[in-house]
Amino acid sequence: MITNLTASERRGALLILVVMAIVGLFFAAAGRGDPIALHGALIMVVALAFAFPVMGHLYDPEPSADRLDTYYDDPSKVGMILTFAWAAFAMFVGDWLAWMMVEPTWTTGSAWSSFGRLRPVHTTGVIFGFGGNGLIATSFYVMQRTCRVRLPDQLSPWFVLLGFNLFCLLAVTGYMLGITQSKEYAEPEWYADLWLVIVWIVYFVLYLRTLARREEPHIYVANWYYMAFILVVAMLHIVNNLAVPVSFLSAKSHSLFSGVQDALTEWWYGHNAVAFFLTAGFLGMMYYYLPIRAGRPIFSYRMSIISFWGITFMYMWVGSHHLHHTALPQWVQTLGMSFSLVLLVPSWASAANALLTLNGAWHRVRDDATLRFMMIAAVFYGLTTFEGSFMAIRSVNALSHYTDWTVGHVHAGALGWVAMITFGALYASIPWLWKKERMYSSFLVELHFWLALSGTVIYVFALWNAGIIQGLMWRTYTENGNLAYTFLDSVVAMTPYYIARAIGGLLFLTGALAGCLNLYLTIRFAAPATEALSLMPLRDPVSDAVIQAAE
Amino acid sequence: MFKLHYRLERRAIGMTLAIICAASVGGFVEIAPLFTIDQTVEAAPDMRVYTPLELAGRNIYMREGCYACHSQMIRTLRDEVERYGHYSLAVESKYDHPMLWGSKRTGPDIAPLGGKYSDEWHVRHLLNPREVVRVSIMPSYAWLMDNDLRIDDLSGQLAAQHAVGVPYTPDMIRHAADDAYGQANPDSNRVAGVRARYDDNTNIRAFDGIADRLTEMDALVAYLQILGRLTDASNLDPVGKDLE
Amino acid sequence: MALEERDPVTGRLTTGHQWNGIKELNTPVPRVVYVFLILTITFGLVYALCMPAIPLGRTYTKGILGYDERTAVQRDLEGAAAAKAPWHDALDRLDYRELAADPVVMQEIRETGRFLFGQNCAACHGINASGNRGFPNLAGGALNWGDTPEAIEQTIRVGVNSSHPESRIAQMPAFGQDGILQRPEVDAVVAYVHDLSREGIDASRQRHPAGQEIFKAQCAACHGAEARGNSDLGAPNLTDRTWLYGGDIQTILDTVWQGRQGQMPSWESRLGARNIKLLSAYVSSLRKE
Ligand code: HEC
Ligand code: HEC
Ligand code: HEC
Ligand code: HEM
Ligand code: HEM
Ligand SMILES: [Ca+2]
Ligand SMILES: [Ca+2]
Ligand SMILES: [Cu+2]
Repeated sequence: MITNLTASERRGALLILVVMAIVGLFFAAAGRGDPIALHGALIMVVALAFAFPVMGHLYDPEPSADRLDTYYDDPSKVGMILTFAWAAFAMFVGDWLAWMMVEPTWTTGSAWSSFGRLRPVHTTGVIFGFGGNGLIATSFYVMQRTCRVRLPDQLSPWFVLLGFNLFCLLAVTGYMLGITQSKEYAEPEWYADLWLVIVWIVYFVLYLRTLARREEPHIYVANWYYMAFILVVAMLHIVNNLAVPVSFLSAKSHSLFSGVQDALTEWWYGHNAVAFFLTAGFLGMMYYYLPIRAGRPIFSYRMSIISFWGITFMYMWVGSHHLHHTALPQWVQTLGMSFSLVLLVPSWASAANALLTLNGAWHRVRDDATLRFMMIAAVFYGLTTFEGSFMAIRSVNALSHYTDWTVGHVHAGALGWVAMITFGALYASIPWLWKKERMYSSFLVELHFWLALSGTVIYVFALWNAGIIQGLMWRTYTENGNLAYTFLDSVVAMTPYYIARAIGGLLFLTGALAGCLNLYLTIRFAAPATEALSLMPLRDPVSDAVIQAAE
Repeated sequence: MFKLHYRLERRAIGMTLAIICAASVGGFVEIAPLFTIDQTVEAAPDMRVYTPLELAGRNIYMREGCYACHSQMIRTLRDEVERYGHYSLAVESKYDHPMLWGSKRTGPDIAPLGGKYSDEWHVRHLLNPREVVRVSIMPSYAWLMDNDLRIDDLSGQLAAQHAVGVPYTPDMIRHAADDAYGQANPDSNRVAGVRARYDDNTNIRAFDGIADRLTEMDALVAYLQILGRLTDASNLDPVGKDLE
Repeated sequence: MALEERDPVTGRLTTGHQWNGIKELNTPVPRVVYVFLILTITFGLVYALCMPAIPLGRTYTKGILGYDERTAVQRDLEGAAAAKAPWHDALDRLDYRELAADPVVMQEIRETGRFLFGQNCAACHGINASGNRGFPNLAGGALNWGDTPEAIEQTIRVGVNSSHPESRIAQMPAFGQDGILQRPEVDAVVAYVHDLSREGIDASRQRHPAGQEIFKAQCAACHGAEARGNSDLGAPNLTDRTWLYGGDIQTILDTVWQGRQGQMPSWESRLGARNIKLLSAYVSSLRKE
């Protein structure tokens, strides 16, 4: 893969890696006595591990010019492998956590593996590691095909992909070492946050450059969503992570805002991490892969517009539904609740647009597990957003907040929507990328689908029960007007549901592992594609003709 | 409208600007006024800051992820007030950078925990929760007792807190390490300094039961024992007292 | 304009573009979408008019209903208190004997008591009040500070070795650590105490005369010459089978060597007088059963 880079790209890569190694060395040496030194060493090791192979190929000849006639898919391939790897790792941790909530002694007894440290490893691992890699890998894939151009260069996609993975690595190793800002979904410390800002700017510039060179007059809907994902995540990330480090050689920082202002900033971020990371980005994915796989046109271009702008505008108002009845002034809660209800309309419009697109292709849904993944994802997307808007009603939230119902809602979205659409997209792209006829084993895809679906259903039902029982127990009064249950009563009552959830999670994890196996088998053993399936060459005579006629 | 969009979607920069505009409104309208509307944070003249030891304990609370299971935010609901005590006020987390309100109650709310249990109970509970609460599913934190508390960076911690707006004096910042030591060792000669610099009611005890060793357990228990006690603001207001 | 095409399945026009083969139909937005948009927006507007909602620089609109969550919860609490007024009144008025005699009130006490105890006391004393090492069993056995409801009330109110100004003080000295006794003396008295509850006081005296001497000199001041304890000092009876820390040789040795200062928090400011009375009646009722 390195030899595919041009000589100047290789020099650029080496320069970046050397600078990183030096920065890492500096932190490792000067930050001794502080956990930041460990991260300095980690950065250095990672940078050197990439620098040596690059050095080995520094003077190799230039790659052949005909590469420019095809899409640049190497980063997408690596990104998809990483997506599966993070899925396996982070879902394993998730299920481990689930069992710990059943039996708290099922841990190593060392600090790194305690519940509170592993929980953000799970959330970061799934959202950023699994979800983020899936988004980056598919966005490169989708933007080239929907713009009908090759990526503008070969270095910046690698920088984005690998730089992002370095961020994830710093994040999860940090939590295990005790490095955390403790802000939910924004736990990485200041230096990792700064690094992500750099990576993200490069990502956005790469996107703009690709769009600027596009051969299609219009920007496809999928790209609106990917752009919104990149842009808004940048805004959120920067504002929510403002902090003052103890020193430049300390891993610890103190966040700029405090108390109630910090709470709203955090949930403005937190909710929109859901909206623009777990929703907008994946809607982008869905808008490309679902119609391609179904072989059907999008049901309604106009509905796409309504949903897109509705989501982009309204999501940003609703973070306060995470703070109902708290010390956050009530006026903000009112706004959060009102917008959450309106938000249901564009959300359902997206889900409906996806499902109606399948009209005329339901026989394919029946036969093709990959498409079925996407169909189920759209269903769960609709279900989760409905549930979300419902839970955003103050009186409902009074019951659901702080309980496992929230966690059930999270995983209806995370497993049912995010993970399903991602697996669907990966199964659709992998044969195309590796130029295979199809996935090595369609049985394993089918198996994965059923494990994922049953796991999700068990998980979500268990926690709906758990959460509602918990919420009710906390507020049940006896006839005489006294609270009936102690907190501990509610802890004890959760056991059967926690067991069920852990089993559901295990099924889901097993499915993901089947996916990993299938990926490996496909890359190694699947029969090569006989014809260029959907490997649409850059200069495609058919679509060129269409375009010319159109202009 | 669709015609307009048909033109907009041909311009990457146009889309970029439109997305930024659409996405900026909500946050701006909701967050900015929290800094300008006076009623947002109640007045509490008696509000005190965390001592260095308590701040170090708070850092450990974050490091161990206790906030993943414990909230520190009692909501304005009858059952919450009857179960835990007066609903939380914004001022109570005024010096919390960041706030630790939490979003999940696998364990109970601990906003008003300070003084509820003895130090010894906390130590035993943190070492092995099931030794004191048979059915607990809380993890054990045995290493807190083994680890000496890091105090060399405490001045820096206070200085950073000062930089984000917590009123630590230069004197407090300079003596942070001494004060941490003194607060956990009632027999030491540094106690007077703690008393002089901080509130008279500051807890000065061997929190982990060992006076001459400053462990992470000292810090965490000191923090737990101050929860809900930085200000009396909620006690002045009679809600929930004797109403149960 | 783009080249329009008709989708054979739905018969609708496409927008005329395609991206990597993906086309879009130009289907008009279904009317329900608009209907629901208008409905939800209307609801949002009305709700925002009724409730505190719009920030205005230094203040915000209070809403035409004048609803405020803090006033609302205050009202809820007062309503709940009003509903309970008769029985609160009984609780305040009746003394412990009268309370115990009134089955209706006792029923309430058991119900509320279980909750308050579970929420506040069970962490130490266990959900059944049966105690734990270092935390006394309240449901059975002798109590160190006295068995009457009044004594129990006092303990709960001020605590033991707590920060309350009137706190009860339980100070079992550290005879070994502080060098008051030498190791052989400690061993002797420990052996004596160990056998007190097992063999009876006379047998133990005979067996450990040295221990008995030391006990008389050092311990009797608090635990009494007969070792039956002193509820004014919280000194436990050492002749019964109830142990706070444990009755095996090693634990007794630890107790005598390093001393004990068990801590029971004061609940006066946290729970208030009425709840404390209720809990005292509740704990007493557990002891009777
Ligand atoms: C896996 C979830 C979990 C984590 C993580 C956790 N706890 Fe707990 N905690 C619980 C549960 C469940 C209870 C209730 C049972 C009990 O008292 O042990 C509890 C109870 C408590 C209590 C008693 C509260 C009361 O009012 O009775 C304290 C104090 C406490 N935890 C502190 C901590 C601290 C400090 C940490 C981090 C170092 C922590 N917890 C981490 C689950 C957790
Ligand atoms: C932090 C742990 C803790 C909590 C919580 C606690 N206690 Fe205690 N309690 C103790 C200890 C320790 C003692 C023994 C004190 C001593 O050494 O005499 C004690 C003693 C008592 C006694 C006197 C027993 C005797 O032998 O005379 C009563 C009665 C009592 N507790 C009731 C309660 C009630 C009611 C609550 C809840 C409102 C409560 N306790 C909460 C630790 C606790
Ligand atoms: C100043 C008063 C005082 C003196 C003198 C004293 N004790 Fe105690 N003793 C106490 C008190 C108070 C407690 C209860 C401690 C607690 O509640 O934590 C206690 C507890 C004990 C216990 C623990 C009982 C249990 O249930 O676990 C033993 C054993 C004991 N004393 C033995 C002795 C012996 C032997 C001596 C003399 C060498 C002695 N005490 C002298 C006050 C005293
Ligand atoms: C094998 C599958 C999974 C299992 C067993 C699992 C398990 C868990 C557990 C046990 C928790 C902690 C809940 C608590 O503290 O009460 C959790 C939290 C969370 N998980 Fe998962 N998880 C899985 C997959 C995923 C995926 C794929 C995602 C996202 C794409 C995800 C996102 C989250 C989030 C966001 C939280 C935090 C929820 C909150 O704070 O409310 N999980 N998960
Ligand atoms: C219209 C769309 C949605 C709305 C209005 C909504 C609303 C809500 C509400 C009210 C909560 C509970 C907050 C609390 O009480 O603490 C919540 C939590 C959450 N939701 Fe949604 N939701 C929506 C869609 C989604 C989707 C699609 C996902 C995708 C995975 C998702 C992920 C989450 C997560 C991760 C949390 C947990 C946050 C935490 O850590 O506490 N939501 N959402
Ligand atoms: Ca961060
Ligand atoms: Ca959460
Ligand atoms: Cu939300």
